[in-house]
Amino acid sequence: MNDPASKQNPAWAWSDPATVPGMNRRSFLRATVAAASGLAAVAALAPLRELKNFTSVDEFLQKHYTELTPEEMARVLKRIEDEVEKQYGLRPHVRDYKPMNGVEFVYCLNLTRCIGCRKCVHACVAENNQSRSPEIQYIRVLKMPNGTFDVEKAEHNYAPESVPEPGFYYMPVQCHQCKNPPCVKVCPVKATWKDDDGIVVIDYNWCIGCRYCEAACPYWARRFNFTAPSIPKERLNPNMSYLGNRPRQQGVMEKCHFCIQRTRAGRYPACVEVCPAGARKFGNILDPDSEVSHILKDKRVFVLKEEVGTLPRFFYYFEI
Amino acid sequence: MNADTKTAAVLIASAVLFLALAAAFQRDLWGRPAALPAIPLVDPVFTNPAPTRVSAADLKRTGGDMTDFECNTCHELNKPGNLRFDDKGQVVLPKEHGELVMHHGRNDRNNNCFNCHNPLNREELLTKDGHKLRIWESTRLCASCHGPTYRDWELGVHGRMSGYWNRALGPFTRVDCASCHHPHAPIFAPRPPAPGPHPLRPAAVPPARQHASH
Repeated sequence: MNDPASKQNPAWAWSDPATVPGMNRRSFLRATVAAASGLAAVAALAPLRELKNFTSVDEFLQKHYTELTPEEMARVLKRIEDEVEKQYGLRPHVRDYKPMNGVEFVYCLNLTRCIGCRKCVHACVAENNQSRSPEIQYIRVLKMPNGTFDVEKAEHNYAPESVPEPGFYYMPVQCHQCKNPPCVKVCPVKATWKDDDGIVVIDYNWCIGCRYCEAACPYWARRFNFTAPSIPKERLNPNMSYLGNRPRQQGVMEKCHFCIQRTRAGRYPACVEVCPAGARKFGNILDPDSEVSHILKDKRVFVLKEEVGTLPRFFYYFEI
Repeated sequence: MNADTKTAAVLIASAVLFLALAAAFQRDLWGRPAALPAIPLVDPVFTNPAPTRVSAADLKRTGGDMTDFECNTCHELNKPGNLRFDDKGQVVLPKEHGELVMHHGRNDRNNNCFNCHNPLNREELLTKDGHKLRIWESTRLCASCHGPTYRDWELGVHGRMSGYWNRALGPFTRVDCASCHHPHAPIFAPRPPAPGPHPLRPAAVPPARQHASH
């Protein structure tokens, strides 16, 4: 090992010991071993090749939603349209819908009417471009025996031949758009906040995926993209909003946003329109003639987990 | 051990390690996470926002086939019919109307055809206070008994709403009673539920919970 030749000739050279002067057997072996280990290292790191969809520079440098100027937002929307078109082969229409003046949304759900058919769940998935496999669903329908109200013991995997089942009632739960939202308080990066019309929104480009909000929510309303969402191209809803139903990426949080792309354009949410029993009611609580105003005046509404002080905008009620 | 020996040892050890890793990845020795079973797409019937039924009013509006409502093809105008009742007080339906179900009311006692139909002209409905209504105006007939429900329906609180919550931005649709309720059996018929949430891994649901759902 103290042989002077190997010191004069660095071993890191591709060379034939027979033709290169000064190359002896030991340094040739060392060079071969080094080269082989280099190649093996490349092969061993091969799984990294499966990493794709790196964040683009523009996306990485994008500012927080509230700091974007209208021109920057227009560029961001165009970039998102390009990305969706590249991925799904379909040019979407992505808009940034702002809250309307004089509008605060309220949602009311009539538990006497709900039959537990879960059509709302799937209309929501279709409208909001949620991942189909693995599934992400914003609405969870709980089944509870009549006369009880223990959501911890509720059943949400029920699969009978037909619903409603005698002796049970059904309670769909989704984001309650709280006036005092714990999820917003715990977000370390302000990726989620409460807008003026009461909707708690998420900027999917700002979310770091820490899942604090999921832990903070007392209504189990937030969903995390553990994998990249998979949406069949033919089921993609091209009417998209920045804070709403544009396709999410892996590692971000999402939840019900009252169908921003519909409600901020004046329309009813998808779950309201699909409910066969008319159990779901939605509207502007600042309009004294809206359905929800009449319900809050006339019916005995209650909120889920009132004692935790979240002040939900989502009201339940029973009636005869 | 001098520096050269160390270098050689490290090189050989790392080469062996990397070769072993490469071989392991190549042979997939400890296995990739198995691909999760694909979750079948939901039947589009569960995302269809159309009402549950097609009422006479819907048929008339869309120009559908109204021959089912041409009663006077068989029945004689201005001639009241004879209803027959069995010993339990249930109406005996003639075989021409054998497909009718009579389940209006929780106790099935509302089984006299002429509670709603005009005995002198079956193509009309007759409220208890004597208003004659066409068959596609049945919502007003329902209102003549179900007052509070009709009030809620007018306010949009009962029944289905679709279209625009913001009346300034667009139209809204409020469907008639008979678009959801069968007039002869108004309680919502049981229907199959849409598929429930699929757990990421099927075994993640404890058997006891699965059992509890049946």
